[in-house]
Amino acid sequence: MNLRKPGLTLYGLFIVMALLAAAALLLGVAVSSILVFLLIYAALAYSINFITGMIGYVDFGHVLFMAIGSYALATLVSYFGANPLIGVGAGAMLGLVFALGIGLVILRFRGVYFAIATVVLVLAAYNIVLQLPQLGEGGEIIFNLTFQPLAPYFTIWTIVLIEIALTYYVNRSRIGFGIRAIKSEEDAASSVGVNPQRLKLIGYMLGGLFAGAAGGVYAWSTSGVTAGPAFDFTVSLLMLAMIIIGGVGTSIGPLLGAVVVYIPSYFLLTSVAQAQPLLIGLLVIIMALFLPDGIVGLLRRSNKRLRLALE
Amino acid sequence: MQAKPRRLTKRTTAIIAVAIVAIVIASGGGTYYYVNYVAQRPITCTLPSGRDAIKVGFTISLTGTFNVEGAKSLAGIQAAACWINNNGGVTVNGKTYNIVLNYYDDQSSSAQISTLYTKIITQDNAQFLLAPYSSGLTGAAAPLAEQYNLVMLSHGGSSDSIWTKGYKNVFGILSPASTYFNNAVDWLKANHPDDKLAFLHADDSFSTAASGAASKYAVQQGLSVVYNASYPVTSQDLSTQLTAAQGAGADDLLGGGHYADGVKIVQQLSSVGWKPKFISLLVAVTEPQFRQQLGGSANLVTGPSQWETTVTYSPATAQTSSIPWYGPTESQFVDYYSKQANAGSPTYHSGEAGAAIIVLADAIQKANSLDSTAVRQTISSLHIMTFFGQFQVDSTGKQSGHSMVLVQWQNGGLVVVAPAIVASGTVKYPYTGS
Amino acid sequence: MVAAELILRDLAFGLMLGCVFSVVAHGLNIIWGVVKVVNIAHGEFIMLGAYGAYFLNLFAGITPLETAPIDAAIGLLVGYAFYYAFLHRELHNKETITLQSEMVTLAATFGLSLFISNLAIIVFTGNPVGVIYNPGTLQFGYLIVPLAALYVAILSILIIAGTWLFLERTFIGSAIRAYAQDVTATELVGANPAKVASLATALGFAVTMAGGALLTVWIPVGINPLMGALYAPISFVIVVLGGPGRMWGSMVGGLTLGVVIDLVQAFTTPQIAYAAAFLILIPVLVFRPEGILK
Repeated sequence: MNLRKPGLTLYGLFIVMALLAAAALLLGVAVSSILVFLLIYAALAYSINFITGMIGYVDFGHVLFMAIGSYALATLVSYFGANPLIGVGAGAMLGLVFALGIGLVILRFRGVYFAIATVVLVLAAYNIVLQLPQLGEGGEIIFNLTFQPLAPYFTIWTIVLIEIALTYYVNRSRIGFGIRAIKSEEDAASSVGVNPQRLKLIGYMLGGLFAGAAGGVYAWSTSGVTAGPAFDFTVSLLMLAMIIIGGVGTSIGPLLGAVVVYIPSYFLLTSVAQAQPLLIGLLVIIMALFLPDGIVGLLRRSNKRLRLALE
Repeated sequence: MQAKPRRLTKRTTAIIAVAIVAIVIASGGGTYYYVNYVAQRPITCTLPSGRDAIKVGFTISLTGTFNVEGAKSLAGIQAAACWINNNGGVTVNGKTYNIVLNYYDDQSSSAQISTLYTKIITQDNAQFLLAPYSSGLTGAAAPLAEQYNLVMLSHGGSSDSIWTKGYKNVFGILSPASTYFNNAVDWLKANHPDDKLAFLHADDSFSTAASGAASKYAVQQGLSVVYNASYPVTSQDLSTQLTAAQGAGADDLLGGGHYADGVKIVQQLSSVGWKPKFISLLVAVTEPQFRQQLGGSANLVTGPSQWETTVTYSPATAQTSSIPWYGPTESQFVDYYSKQANAGSPTYHSGEAGAAIIVLADAIQKANSLDSTAVRQTISSLHIMTFFGQFQVDSTGKQSGHSMVLVQWQNGGLVVVAPAIVASGTVKYPYTGS
Repeated sequence: MVAAELILRDLAFGLMLGCVFSVVAHGLNIIWGVVKVVNIAHGEFIMLGAYGAYFLNLFAGITPLETAPIDAAIGLLVGYAFYYAFLHRELHNKETITLQSEMVTLAATFGLSLFISNLAIIVFTGNPVGVIYNPGTLQFGYLIVPLAALYVAILSILIIAGTWLFLERTFIGSAIRAYAQDVTATELVGANPAKVASLATALGFAVTMAGGALLTVWIPVGINPLMGALYAPISFVIVVLGGPGRMWGSMVGGLTLGVVIDLVQAFTTPQIAYAAAFLILIPVLVFRPEGILK
């Protein structure tokens, strides 16, 4: 284990998380019901960061795992009266398992083909879900849990905390070195003692695990799941937008991206609803063309001290 | 996506950063300015002055999948509120109040629901709530009504499952999905009991619920169901299913989904060469464009509706049935509706949403209180008639007094053909395709 | 046992639907095959083509068949603009497209797709609309074929054949083919790589938008700003099935998809048919990554 001492980034992130926890406890339900979605977005951003940000395989279909998590929680709570935390756990487990199975097949495909395969899987899954009456009529399940906003809030808060720690650790450890090797030149990676197949699969599985958990919390917070919105590509695209804007592969990037994507939407929500995705699209275009390593990359390149501090 | 490590000068960085921030602020600010100063929400109803306000909060889908239904519902709500305010307002303990609407666009998305309703309840201090449009969104909003103990009237969520969740504060205005086709099935049973039925519906939750319940009801009534299938909402081609239904020996076709499906089904019926003797389709049939787009083949197609402007509920009907009446007559409602901006002509979405406000106002007055618990208890036992029909809920909050109507296109016009007490015509059978 | 008539009928409709799918995917095929760029916003341009047909029909009473060339002309202009806005920087003076550029264009076009579809929602509103075009039907025994679908299928084949002829028989066409194989070779043929690439992109967009216009015949009330989300994945699958860069590959991929969707429905439910059609991609990628056509 070759870990340098944790840097400013990690402390900074923990402080932000502490602030988020305090905000929920002190500022009341109104604030926590907004912030819970911020945390869900962040969880999704960190999850896609493992496979797309770090390893470089663009996953357009990542919403699949979120949907799996949502349906897992919805069925367990609605049909078996299970505790929602079990639902979240189930979502995470199922996300992991599906990612393993799917990843074994499609991670062999080159870049663009992998991306398309992920898209195809979402569409196939959507159609299959509609075929299964166990998953609700028309894929819609509604349930009634007493409104307890703090429970899902701290669940997703814990999930994001774990993801931050994991991302940070991976980036700094030898695994991170291996991942970066895959990203720059996959074929050469094995010559430096890296096993690309295994690392890709692990990254994809982590992505599935956390997206599944986030999906479970999402269903918890919206008291249900409906097929159309659950498999909506816009969510996948937003996940990608968050890491592109924040900075792919970094530890801060996903959280930063989630803030940039989500917070303005709260204000724009009550005026022109379409403005947010429009602006996000514009921002992504600009970022992709001029700033491929996101806000974090921009900051790192501008100042030597920031380069050392931000990861 | 690692960039080649270009060394950026501080100046370049600063310029790029400023540019991004500027774009974001400019667009955000521009949008804000446009929305609040340029594109004003049209004020179509001047509130009589000197009164306090009763704030009714809700979200409605002005954009996204449900934007058409949402717009119609909103205009209906505004029309009803306007009528109330111009006709004495709401009187509680001798004081008169205006109904004031506090609403936001939920973009047809459940993610916005809890944020917006929390804002409506805790920041805007709404006293009463309406549910959003559609069962899924209603399901997302209901827990908040329970938590904050505020009354919520559901005008756009017809799924029966909402009423099985044990909500105390949520009450439905509209007939549940499971009753949509009852009129059609009853008519067939009474007039053509030997007909064989085919059910073909879209696989979304609403259509599945309506069609599924209907086929069970038909079997219960002793009718023969020979075909029962669903199709994905995005299907381009339903001819396989229609041919299969025809091949199974079906005489009648019931089902459909939302607007596009209804049109598609009728078009493809003619292209596969099947003329069912009786057709009943969800949602699409009641839209005027249905006739425009299909021309002659729309003639004699029937469909269920929560309400039509030609339905004849009136104070006189109420008196005959010994039920109290409250609210505008149908022509008064249509008149107020026409004054709302971008309203088009009223559909049953407008009627059901408007009725929600009417019922709420009446309940508040009868309870003579603004307290949620008192109003809730009043609603539970309320039995009145409005332009929309009867209102009475069962112990779960599900609407039991209102009945759907069956409409049929005849000679280019939409005629209410069932049930008899509000019908202005009778069902013409068989369907001829022109 | 399922009736033979039903199967034949489904086959016929599947083939006609497949032809339209082919032309809708063809533009993506051209761009992907020549410039090696995958346009994530492909679906949005199909959508714009469809709206073009709708508005021209609404205001000028023009049928979708006639709108196709108009949309194609617009597509040419849009394609040129797209090339210079997004691709020129990444591609010119480079011999092959790097992984970096590939990811950049994927990300940029995805941002574009978000932007265009939401702008469309604001401008067009989310209301689904449609074009009414019904020139009648042809009857072959028990088989009733809608003429609209037949015309559109024929036009689709003509368009694909036309682009193939263009690439095979004209000088510019061979320059484009040269570029597709090896960028430096283009200069040996005496053509300017930037001009060739921009022309190919323009051609791709022209075909895409024309395809969107022709598609409206199959979706009587389904034109809405988010329809790209369905037709883009369909196009991707078609191009991969046929092999990017193979002009007739679009036809092979499109027909396969159309037939699978319509034919499988005869035996099971449509949802399974769609799922199956999409999942075909996976085994093809595993066993035959260059596409079905050798």
